[in-house]
Amino acid sequence: MWFRSATLLWRRTALPAGRPFPRCYSTPTPTSPELYDVVCVGGGPAGLSLLAALRSSAATSGLKVALVEGQDLKKNVLRDSTPSTFSNRCSSLTPASVRYLKEIGAWSFIDESRVQPYQGMEVWDGLSGSKITFDWDETNSVARRPSRHDSQTIAYMIENINLTTGLQNFLKALGGITILSPAKVESISYGDSTGSSNLSTWPVVKVSGGQTLAARLLVGADGANSPVRTFAGIQSRGWRYERMGMVATIQLESEPVRKIAYQRFLSTGPIAMLPLPGKMASLVWSTTPERAEVLKALSEEDFSAMVNAGFRLSDPDLQYLHGLEAGQAKEVEWRRRHTPQSGAVPTTVIGVQENTIAAFPLQLRHADTYTAERIALVGDAAHTIHPLAGQGLNLGQGDIASLVRTIKSAVESGQDIGSTLALEQYTSERYAANNTVMGVCDKLHKLYSFQSAPIVGLRSLGLSAVDKLGFLKGFLMRNAAGGA
Amino acid sequence: MTTPKLSRIRLPLSPKPTLTNSTIRSPTVRHHTTSTINTSEINHFNALASSWWDPHGPSRLLHLMNPPRHTFLRSCLASHPTQPSKNLHLLDVGCGGGIFAESAARLPHFSSITAIDPSPSVLTVAQAHLALDPPLHATNKLTYLQSSIEDLPRTKQYDVVSMFEVLEHVSNPSNFLREATQRVKPGGWIVGSTIARTWTSWVVTNVIAEEVLGVVPRGTHDWRKYVNEYELRAWFVKLTAGTDVGGMDGGRWDFRSQGVVYVPGFGWRVVEGGEKFGNYFFAARRME
Repeated sequence: MWFRSATLLWRRTALPAGRPFPRCYSTPTPTSPELYDVVCVGGGPAGLSLLAALRSSAATSGLKVALVEGQDLKKNVLRDSTPSTFSNRCSSLTPASVRYLKEIGAWSFIDESRVQPYQGMEVWDGLSGSKITFDWDETNSVARRPSRHDSQTIAYMIENINLTTGLQNFLKALGGITILSPAKVESISYGDSTGSSNLSTWPVVKVSGGQTLAARLLVGADGANSPVRTFAGIQSRGWRYERMGMVATIQLESEPVRKIAYQRFLSTGPIAMLPLPGKMASLVWSTTPERAEVLKALSEEDFSAMVNAGFRLSDPDLQYLHGLEAGQAKEVEWRRRHTPQSGAVPTTVIGVQENTIAAFPLQLRHADTYTAERIALVGDAAHTIHPLAGQGLNLGQGDIASLVRTIKSAVESGQDIGSTLALEQYTSERYAANNTVMGVCDKLHKLYSFQSAPIVGLRSLGLSAVDKLGFLKGFLMRNAAGGA
Repeated sequence: MTTPKLSRIRLPLSPKPTLTNSTIRSPTVRHHTTSTINTSEINHFNALASSWWDPHGPSRLLHLMNPPRHTFLRSCLASHPTQPSKNLHLLDVGCGGGIFAESAARLPHFSSITAIDPSPSVLTVAQAHLALDPPLHATNKLTYLQSSIEDLPRTKQYDVVSMFEVLEHVSNPSNFLREATQRVKPGGWIVGSTIARTWTSWVVTNVIAEEVLGVVPRGTHDWRKYVNEYELRAWFVKLTAGTDVGGMDGGRWDFRSQGVVYVPGFGWRVVEGGEKFGNYFFAARRME
């Protein structure tokens, strides 16, 4: 309701009487910004989910919303309709995240033939071999999970582009959103106070192309280097892990009978293989920058061999193999024959999908707070996490669910949705919860980076103990599945 | 007027500002013999004006109480489906810095809000805060008036007359309520909140909230002015029976209440029976 009059107000001030067009060719006159209830900067999974959730809920569908995205969203869509090749940017969506996407109506816009649910997790220590097996069949009796159709599923592997394409199509179907893309944020500043219209507490976003948008609530879904966070003066603290996260889409010798996620803790960081449809899988290998450089330079055959080695060979073997310039394939083949294999290892990798090997620096960062007057931060703008538990995108989805709930109750009680008071609920719901997950992942990373014998011994004892305690495993798995 | 002793401490428990007074109103100053305002109350809330909208300031508990007020009012309106649910006209008495009035103006089922208060400084705060929401301001739904309820014309009646955290600050609750009831349309509502006068509320508001925790500014409450739920209920019964002082036809009223308790860390919670010992919401519907 109020935004309609906002438009009137804008027209009134933007077009002076008696002059058909505002004169702004030679001297750029400051025009009044267009007023929005929510301006979201960043059209990634978090930003798109936020807008979809706001538009699809009756209480918030009356809000006037805009999206500002630096990239061209139209170009950033899934084109490949046959599920045989996959993007290297994949995420493990928890059942809780999937349930939320279903709740808001977005899930039916996802290409499910490209989504791979998985039912088991194999996690073990690369130095001691100590293992923890997560399998619903085994833990079900003690975990007492409520029976749901997806109760056997730990998580769903999905390409980020599949998710964002689905969300974009959902938004198109919902309509009523101003989307500025590609549009870079040129500046953010507070608005002016003119007469009865006081925008001095409203952030005004100026985008490339000259448009200006004033926001009742400005949402930063704009990633780890969030310009919105910088504007709000919110510090983000943390550290780099001196590790690179290597990703690749890999091809397996054969399609696994059971779809399981594998993760082995190496002294340089965990190597993980997550199942995709058919013979494909997604690799996430945290390693040192030096080793990442070596791996990136390898031939497809040698790279595949190194992945196989990462799940099978000993620490000294891996150290030696990383020192070779080429020829890993032969070395690994020979060494595999002389390394006894115990327990489950993933299906052998035979190839890498072209142009899918990439590496990015790993870091932990957490903003001091998620909200300020007329500001809310979501997803990576609020927190960046070690990928070892695959929780990054899920934390973002949890943020969106909470922020939308917060906005909804503010709308229903007539609060200004941008006021810090209205936004308090969001920070209090999410901050501690996210901090816990981030802390656990950080501690796991550190614990497994140690090579000294006593610590390896202790942590193996820990994993073995956990493995034997069904109820504790059930607890861990429930948390891995998003606190379902 | 003397400057009240007022150490600006923290937040109110029954935090509301204000009431109605004609003495402040210039240039046409009228002194009602039945004036319900209390000048020391006005001075108290004038002094609190600047921090009214600070979410961590003295009015924090009031801010936190605002969503439950709407929940209570919504449940009242929904209890009589024959009542028109749209285009409602609301009179907010003792609006203070506008916490309730402004939020009501954002709700689609109210088409106009008239918010009155005798304190000029809190109204200045309310106006300034409204200007921070230009789209809302441009709707002209919300009008602030420096006025007492007795100075409003009786010919204008409203669908809802609200008085949140007001009753405990007025000099003559009976006169005040009579003035309020006369401005309610048949089928309309009086809705409000206040604190019961019990030993618990005396300890909580005067000692714990103001002195120990400091969550309510000192001097906000005069326990002797608190109105108990059963007194309020009896007042409406008498009005309905026509045996109220004055014997005039005051309409027939259906009274209800709901106890609420502030739980630190959790906010305001509905507590059944709470109206007997502490803060409570009340509503009375004027039957057709």
